Amino acid sequence: MQGLTVDIDAVLDRQHVGDCGIEGSAELLTFADAVLGGTASGVEPAAARAALRARLGEEALWEAAATVAAFCGLVRVADGTGIPLDDGVLAVSAEVRERTGIDGFAGAANSSTTDAVDVSLTDVAALFR
Amino acid sequence: MRLLIDAQQEAVAALGRPGDWLDGAERVAVWREVRAAATDELDRRRVEALSPYAVEGAHPARPPLGAIEVEVVHRIATDPGRLTRSWARAAIDELGEERYTELVGLTAIAKVLDTFAAALGQPPPALPEPVGGAPARVRPEGVGDTGAWVAQSLNKTLANVSRTLSLVPVTNATWRTLVDSHYSRGRQFFELVWDRALSRPQVELLAARTTVLQQCFY
Repeated sequence: MQGLTVDIDAVLDRQHVGDCGIEGSAELLTFADAVLGGTASGVEPAAARAALRARLGEEALWEAAATVAAFCGLVRVADGTGIPLDDGVLAVSAEVRERTGIDGFAGAANSSTTDAVDVSLTDVAALFR
Repeated sequence: MRLLIDAQQEAVAALGRPGDWLDGAERVAVWREVRAAATDELDRRRVEALSPYAVEGAHPARPPLGAIEVEVVHRIATDPGRLTRSWARAAIDELGEERYTELVGLTAIAKVLDTFAAALGQPPPALPEPVGGAPARVRPEGVGDTGAWVAQSLNKTLANVSRTLSLVPVTNATWRTLVDSHYSRGRQFFELVWDRALSRPQVELLAARTTVLQQCFY
């Protein structure tokens, strides 16, 4: 991912449906919005699928469906069991959480910022082993 | 695609079998409630309210599930981002943390299976026929307080999200297989470049949007 510039605010802003620096991002974001919100999202799910398939292919559509589905489950085990953020993530995500309003989510109460461990992460994936 | 289909078929079957603390009929009933929640009037009013706790009303028992079990499943299915420790504590006090945790896991598994089908415009999977037999009823060793609402593995080499269901190993096995096949893919997770139909940035883009839409802080 080195050298890739991504507009994080656009990724996290549910009103944003355009490109954010990742190939096919507009189609991917619209697809996620349609799956989660159905027609109430303002996007016809069938149209979102067709646009994603046309841009990235059938296999990518399946993988996108799998990703959205997996995270529909992941948010429920995380919020249902009330896990706090892992120490390293809590520290390094402070700025983006504050800027994007994520600190206002109810689940923020599960993570005490006073307990944050200030570490410099060189391998973020190591947090999830 | 084969990986996804195989994992889903196994998960469907697993939800029909006796689990950790719930039997097969109860586990299938949980999945049925996950689907019922999507069109439930009380759930709709709670989701639309400024606070779900300000809405009057309660879910009735739907045997073999009791009222508190129906409540837990419906809240986790429809409004996970606004659950609170006090709400969970009240449910855990009635159910016990093992049974509560299994309900969380089953709801999550059901949401993965149904969301995948919906995302592709396919009909949801048929509910499995319950398999007879008793649940395992085993509280694993090595679990304890990690700061979450329920006991989890004390193995600190695992991220918190990887330990969420460690209190219920039967359900956790199905859950981990499902997540691995649909997202993390074993050791591939530790690589920043993926040789898959979607690149790592594309997958994480979807992940970020999906979690924000559901107001998940973690």
